[in-house]
Order: sequence, then C-alpha cells, then structure tokens
Amino acid sequence: MSRETFTQISDSVWEIAPDYKDGMLVPARVLSSRALIDGIDEKVIDQITNVACLPGIRRYALCMPDGHMGYGFPIGGVAAFSIDDGVISPGGIGFDINCGMRLLRTDLTLAELEPRKEQLLNELYQTIPSGVGSSGYVKLKQDQFRDVMERGLDWCLDNDYAVDHDLDHIENRGRLDGADSTAVSQKAISRGINQMGTLGSGNHYLEIAVAKPEHIYDRNIANRFGIDRENQIVISIHCGSRGFGHQIATDYLQVFSDCAKRYGLAVRDRELLSAPVTSTEGQRYFKAMCCAANAAFVNRQLITHGVRQVFSRIFGRDAAKLGIQTVYDVAHNIAKRERYTIEGREQEVLVHRKGATRSFGPGRDEVPAAYRDIGQPVIVGGSMETGSALLCGTTVADRETFGSSLHGAGRTMSRMKAKKAMRGEAVKQRMKECGILVKTGYMPGLAEEAAYAYKDIDEVVDAVHAAGISRKVARFHPVLNVKG
Amino acid sequence: MQAAFFLLYTMPFRISDEHTSADVGLVISGKSLEELFADAALGVTAIMTDPDRLEERRRIEVELSAENLENLFLGWLSEIVYYKDAECFLFRRCEFSLLDENPPRLKAELFGDRIDPDRHVLMADIKAVTYYKFKLIKGNQDWQAEVVLDL
Repeated sequence: MSRETFTQISDSVWEIAPDYKDGMLVPARVLSSRALIDGIDEKVIDQITNVACLPGIRRYALCMPDGHMGYGFPIGGVAAFSIDDGVISPGGIGFDINCGMRLLRTDLTLAELEPRKEQLLNELYQTIPSGVGSSGYVKLKQDQFRDVMERGLDWCLDNDYAVDHDLDHIENRGRLDGADSTAVSQKAISRGINQMGTLGSGNHYLEIAVAKPEHIYDRNIANRFGIDRENQIVISIHCGSRGFGHQIATDYLQVFSDCAKRYGLAVRDRELLSAPVTSTEGQRYFKAMCCAANAAFVNRQLITHGVRQVFSRIFGRDAAKLGIQTVYDVAHNIAKRERYTIEGREQEVLVHRKGATRSFGPGRDEVPAAYRDIGQPVIVGGSMETGSALLCGTTVADRETFGSSLHGAGRTMSRMKAKKAMRGEAVKQRMKECGILVKTGYMPGLAEEAAYAYKDIDEVVDAVHAAGISRKVARFHPVLNVKG
Repeated sequence: MQAAFFLLYTMPFRISDEHTSADVGLVISGKSLEELFADAALGVTAIMTDPDRLEERRRIEVELSAENLENLFLGWLSEIVYYKDAECFLFRRCEFSLLDENPPRLKAELFGDRIDPDRHVLMADIKAVTYYKFKLIKGNQDWQAEVVLDL
C-alpha cells in the first residue's frame, strides 16, 4: 500500500479521504505507527473504505493498529451509525458475537505456581472443555438457556457460578438489556445449548501468566486493577459465544440479504450486508445479538468458575482465599448504543466494534464504579508465545475513536503458511525453553498460533499508547496455555 | 499430520489460503451439481477430521430450499457445520434424492458418526460458511465453486 493513499493527521493517525472510492460518506482513519502503516494489507484498506460507504455512518470509519482482513469490516474495524438513519451490520460485529477477554487476578506468585505447573495445566485441560465437538459441564434445558441469553450474568449469580464482585467488574455487568430470545432461531439454540463453558478452538485460549515487575508500566493504575505484587499470577480467558453466535450471524446475513433491495441498500460486499437500525429486521438482529453477547459473558463466567475450582483443588484453598477475582471482562465483537458529542451535539449512535475493545476513559457512567475515576481496563490478547497486555481507557478514545482501542496482536500469516513454517511439536519445545507449557487437542494447530503468525504485540500496544486512545499498564508473560 | 495432508491432496477439492489469513478456502469442481455439492460437503468434513476414520453409525436427513442456487449451496454447507455443533455429528457420505436448480432445492441423507476424540483426530473447527469471495460457476464441462470457511 502506497503511503500516498494516506494523509498523515498525527504521528499515529492516517486518513484516507472520501474521494478515494465512489460512495464514501466519511473519511477512513487508520490508527497506526509509521512502520505498521507501511505494511498494511490492501484488503484492509478496501474493507475499511467500504465501511465508510455505509448509510448513516458518523465522522470516520476507523481501523485499529492490529487491523487485518476480516469479513465485511476488517478485524480491528470500528464505526458508529446514527440510530435514526444508520444501519446495523453483522459484518461489523463478527460471527463470534461478544468474543472477548476476561482477566482474573490472583494472590499467587510465580514461585508458588512453579512446583505445580504441570499438574495445574493438566487439570485445567481436563476441566475446561476445548476443541471440536466439546460440551460444557453445565447441562441446560431450553428454558434455562433462554434465561442465560436474556439475563446473562444474573443467571450465573442465581446459580452460584458467579459472585457479586464478578458482576461489578464486567462490561454491562455481563447483561445486555436488549436481549430477546424470540429473535433467536431454534437452530442457534440447538448449536449453543451444549457449548456453555467451553473454550472453542482456533485462537481461543486459557492462559496463566506472570506480571513481572519490569513489565509494569503504570504502577498506580496496575494496583487499582489488582495487579499489586511482584511476579503475580494472572489468568486470561479468550473466547466468545461459540456456535450460538455464529448461527445468529449466519441466520441474519440471510435475512439481511433478503431485505437489502427493499431498503434500497447497495450491496458492495455480501459480508457487509446491513439493515436500517430502525427496521424490523435490524431491531430483531440487535435483540438476537444481545442474546449471543449475554451467552458469551456466561460462557467466560462458567470457564472462570471451572478455573477457580481447579486452583482451589491444587492449592488447597478456597478460590476467594487465593484472591482469584475478575479484573474485567471486555467484549471485542459487538455493537452498542452509546452517546458521543458529534458536530457539537450529543447524540446516541450504534457503535460497531469488530476486533476492537471499548476503551472508555474516566468519568463515563458505563465504567464500573471501582474504575470510574481512572478509566476502564482494556485487555489485549497476544499470541500464546508473547502473552497479553493490560491497558487503561482514556478520554482521547472517547473523543477520537468512539471510545475504542485495539483487541489483540493482529494476524499477519495465514494458518496454512504458519503450519508449513514450523511443526507444532517444535513450537511446543520452543515455548518450553521460554518457560511456557502448552496443552492442546491437536498439536499441528499450535503452529497456527505461534508468535511469528502475528504482529509484534508491543508494537501495536505502543501504537495505541502513542495515539493516546489507551494507556499502557502492564504486560503479562505466559506460563501455561490451554489452546482451544 | 503428513497423513492428513496426503488425504487432502487426494481429495476432490483443494484447500486454499489465497483469500484469507485467519481462515481457510475450499476450491471444488464437479462434473455434475450433485458431485459439486457432495465434494464440497466432504471438503468441510475433511478440514475438520479424516473422513475415512468416520463410521456410518447414523443417518441424518436434510431438506433445503433457497431463492437461488448460490444460497442453496451455502445453506447446504452450513447444515454440515450446524450438525457438527448441534449433534456432534460429522458425515462421510451423502446421497441426494433431489437436487434441483429451478426452483433451487435439495433432499439428501448424510451418513456419519458422532465425534469421538478417542477415535477421531480433530484438526480444526469450522464455525461458519462465509459469502467472502464466494463463487459458483457453471462451466462448459463442469461446475466450479470457491468458498471461504470461518475457523
């Protein structure tokens, strides 16, 4: 991609003007370092400029520094649409609705974990189902699953899979109020009902990591997020709504395909099908999407419950006594109604984040009370070799990127090429030499998730820090990984 | 793994990463529409596991109609993905009792097995069939299709 395509707005913001492509209603902006912008994939530019053509889009179509090719929107795409004359698009949310990250803190240190590493890994692998065809330990009847999708974490609280502290530290307290199970097909229910409490596969994982003192960048905020001791053990969970969310996306792409002509919507890319926010179809998709989002929050909570049981067994203490608490849980594939000041007027818009994390700064009501004076935690998943990162939301993000930031490192190499580059066993050995033990159901799949298949997480994190849309707080070095 | 690669090279479809990095593409051709549909569905199975290791322990009937042939094809592959999650079922053989272009509709039987990690090597999980770069073309001699599958 030629740099002439872009106008440099600042050190970290690059803009493509609306005259780049017929039909663009607003500019496209890429948040990126100079080095990353030089390597940007042309497909990403094509996709983000397609997004800029969607009706009712406000200000810019945005792409985060970890952006890479997706379906419809690029992964890392963010766009806000008018509630009155804008659209809702499954391609702006992703098939895996409310794929997201949960971060747990513990009172444990690496020294306490070391002697029990292998036992812990084996028990986590046995307890948390992963891979194709896996079923969760919670057997739900249809009416219970409707409760899960409509009430989210409140269902977990009622059934002793969560404590109040968890709900106080999850985006929307783990429950989107727009959920209505009558908007969900029986097919979606059948796909999802047995999968609650499972990791899934692909790039989904459960990671046990250490917060080394040299990787704490902002000690005050780290302390506020519960990262408060040397070589502290933290746990991160990356997964979403499993087959349930995928079926809802599949169902509504078909519905939107059927109604596009009726609403006079040009179809530039069939993965970018949309419907007016106010239409019956758009409203029903939003309700179904909220159901999938709630199911994903429940999924991560059930995994958290399983993790607490395993730690409790192995360390011989209650999970509460081990200090296993939710730091935060963020959705990175979602659409939400949020308020922003646009063109001098406060207005509500439907913000689509597809492979992008909400990054609200201090003061916003949506940020949990515990963090409202500093901003919300932004949890970023890296590759299984490089580990994850913790950042903090900012008011710059509220102003510049509809309160959004990055979500991960960003894939650069195809799965097939990654598998050809190195054998899974060799990746496992290399990880072991770096002190990381990994377990998976299919060893060649490890190579697909190796560090070389992704952008450098430090580079993308530095890019959002430089842009001011999130502040660096800590980096976590992986110790154990259950790969889905 | 080498066996798995060998299997894929001898199958009547090609796995591709031409259009996608995070996921996988499938390129299929068939002398007839039935062959195209059957081979594409087998390709979906083969990305997830070795079809030769699946037994015919169960039969599932599929009946579909769509407004056009493209949607019928995508809907057909989506059925394979659906039964994988809803019934933990993967098929190794299918038989069509009906496959029409006008109007687009099909009736088929899938013969296959319940997923069992002790008997099957599970290589990947296909979660959705996408419209991305999708092609379905009737050539002079054959039918061709390209489809990207979300992993």
